Amino acid sequence: MQLDPSDARECAAALRSAAEARQTVRVRGGGTKADPDEALPGDAVLRTRGLSGVVDHVPADLTVTVRAGTLLRDVQAALAERGQFLPLDPPHGGATIGGVIAANSNGFGTLRYGAVRDLLIGTTTALTDGTLARAGGRVVKNVAGYDLNKLLVGSLGTLGVIVEATFKVLPLPATRGASVSSATDATSAFARAGAIVRTSLRPTALVVDHERGAWRLVVAAAGEQAVVDRTLREAGGDHVADPDRLLVPLRDLLAAAAEGAVVRATIPLAAQPPFAGGVSRLDGFERLVADAGTGIVHVHLRGDDATIAASTVAAIASARVLGGSARTERVAPSLRRHFAALRTEPPGHFLMRRLKDAFDPRGILEPERSLA
Amino acid sequence: MATPFVAGTRGAVLHRGLVDLLGEEQVLWQKHDLQLYEYDGAVDTATPDAVVIPRDTADVANLARFCSEHNVPLVPRGAGTGLSGGAIPVEGGVVVSFARMSRILELDAANLRAVVQPGLVNLHLSTAAAPHGLYFVPDPSSQKACTIGGNVAENSGGPHTLAYGVTTNHVTGLEIVLTDGTIVRLGGKAHESEGYDLIGLFVGSEGTLGLITEITVRLSPLPEDKRTVMAAFPTMDEASEAVSAIIASGLVPSAIELMDQLATVAVEASVGAGYPLDAGAILLAEVDGPRDGLDDHRARIEELCRANGATSIRVAETALERDRLWAGRKGAFAAMGRLAPDYYVQDGVIPRTRLPDVLRRIAEVGERYGVRIANVFHAGDGNLHPLILFDGSLGPDVLRQVKAAGVEILRACLDAGGSITGEHGVGMEKNCELPLQYGPDDLAAMLHVKRAFDPAGLANPAKIFPTPSRCREFSLHAARSV
Repeated sequence: MQLDPSDARECAAALRSAAEARQTVRVRGGGTKADPDEALPGDAVLRTRGLSGVVDHVPADLTVTVRAGTLLRDVQAALAERGQFLPLDPPHGGATIGGVIAANSNGFGTLRYGAVRDLLIGTTTALTDGTLARAGGRVVKNVAGYDLNKLLVGSLGTLGVIVEATFKVLPLPATRGASVSSATDATSAFARAGAIVRTSLRPTALVVDHERGAWRLVVAAAGEQAVVDRTLREAGGDHVADPDRLLVPLRDLLAAAAEGAVVRATIPLAAQPPFAGGVSRLDGFERLVADAGTGIVHVHLRGDDATIAASTVAAIASARVLGGSARTERVAPSLRRHFAALRTEPPGHFLMRRLKDAFDPRGILEPERSLA
Repeated sequence: MATPFVAGTRGAVLHRGLVDLLGEEQVLWQKHDLQLYEYDGAVDTATPDAVVIPRDTADVANLARFCSEHNVPLVPRGAGTGLSGGAIPVEGGVVVSFARMSRILELDAANLRAVVQPGLVNLHLSTAAAPHGLYFVPDPSSQKACTIGGNVAENSGGPHTLAYGVTTNHVTGLEIVLTDGTIVRLGGKAHESEGYDLIGLFVGSEGTLGLITEITVRLSPLPEDKRTVMAAFPTMDEASEAVSAIIASGLVPSAIELMDQLATVAVEASVGAGYPLDAGAILLAEVDGPRDGLDDHRARIEELCRANGATSIRVAETALERDRLWAGRKGAFAAMGRLAPDYYVQDGVIPRTRLPDVLRRIAEVGERYGVRIANVFHAGDGNLHPLILFDGSLGPDVLRQVKAAGVEILRACLDAGGSITGEHGVGMEKNCELPLQYGPDDLAAMLHVKRAFDPAGLANPAKIFPTPSRCREFSLHAARSV
């Protein structure tokens, strides 16, 4: 069954009908994170693409309100006409705004601009009781009531269907640039990245990349010419005028990896060199891309199932030992059974469970989706 | 099974139970002690049944378990500088003071994190981090006294959060104690944690979800340099236009503050910051970051101020001059004592483009109620702080009138598409007004969160959400189910 609501009310009504019928629902935005094996034959699929369009863009207030089914790239195009942009650069240009929020999809710009949770200031969400709940608003500072926006970021459609969202936006930077340089090992690559993190330069990307024995540091900057120049000077290496030429492949390569497994780790900044050094020696190691300013590290593993399974377990264990967490982001279907046992309940899981039960008492939304 | 304390003997029984549990030194119960905990930075008061000053997380958990067994409310308190009555035990119960849990547990410069206890004074953290070239971004005007725990509870801001975010953008880990005594550790030093963002929910929950016993915060590199500009304008309208022009230009100053003439006069008399007394409005803007380009930014701000009617402009040439300019802004609330015995500060937020018309409406409210209103606020993010001046000794009717004027100001903010609070919290001050901003369905969703964390309703009761007893106008179904 397909549900294609064309406005927020219809979306809420569809959820209530589904709840009354105990009909399970999968929520689909751009389908970029959809995992075909997760939907079961009996599930209804609610598509948000009918909920699209920019509701309001007030350039002088630096805010934009959009319907959740709008593609991120369409939002960027609309903002660019007025010289502004939403400083989010997740993989998948085909993602919807609602999908970006629900999946907490971020790119390399987090160090400079913040993540989805930092830029999202208002939401309207359709709930399974047929109501529409608003949180936050259209002003950039607001502490009235609980910050339900935060709860929705990364909730993967398990609590409700986001129908509208308001974000902070920024003027397009005057200049952009990037540089790439090689490093002898993990320690030196991360040390150089760390030195830049500790300055006021605030680069728009700071990535350590490791593949086939080579370590690279990619730095991107945006804004005033003088600051961009200095950032790239301090980063060293070869300059590249268009940062996307370097960054887009780094960002999308792992997201699109069809073979093997991609492990996504979030670890303390200083834990990156030992983590990266360790996983790069694992059997089946293919590539590592670390957002060195936030400690979010993606690791691509390839090989036979047993190798990948063992190395994935080792990578996740390493992240945990180092004070962070990790999960598999992309896994070949044949490997899934190896990982079922790896799922652990995060701290505060009982609170998450209570929240899930309160927002979706019949458990119709995205059943079986892990909260971790 | 809950055994409620019986009215009348409640205080005595509670006191004995708490002393048995935690020891004499941690419990205050005599009238003269309790009176010190009746008030905070806002205007309402209430006396606690007891005050507990725990030493560690275990004390807090034991206390919570005890209070849960006896159905006693728990009201956390940092330095008591809050401006919405968050620390007032409006329904009695135990006020939990974090004065003894005030240490920096770990300053982890390599990871740009600090692990602190909730009672740590905000400024002490930045002072301790400075030798490492780091600081904690949120800088409420009360930062010399207010605590990090209070900052987390209220999601505090400050002048310099315009470019770098408020408290919620700088917390990566929390240890909390639920009202049933359960200790939960969320997140840590990593950028994000697994599952729902419970930290994001908890920050700004004003003590209504549980007690905070440990906080991991992000530290940021100190800006390499700063430029501070003060511009004087004939009118607030012109100053507001200058703010809009600066924001629209693409500059992202670290702070843009505005102050009207009434506030300026008081500040000058009290601090002597060097603001011209004949100006209708004073604008304070700061840019910081890499040295390169800073002078260019400063020049563009000066240009935009002049284009919008600035009559005089001063640039701080030394750190001392900068501190003096900022001392005026940070000491503004305290300076109100020169104008009137009491003030009531509002905290509405509006879209930045609506500044001129909302300021006009605030002036109209002042005229209609016959009260003087001074304005000192974070213009860059549209966060207003109208200070309604009054003399509380003239009786409760005066306070009632002042509060009514405050509600009118909040309505003006909401009419402009804004919020009733930007950084001070709802507390017991504006809980009756929350339904002006959010409808029953919105509040019902928020109450799912309240019940998930605090099903017994013992965490800072009668805060944030309207209560039938205090908010007759808004006995919504959502309110009834609190």
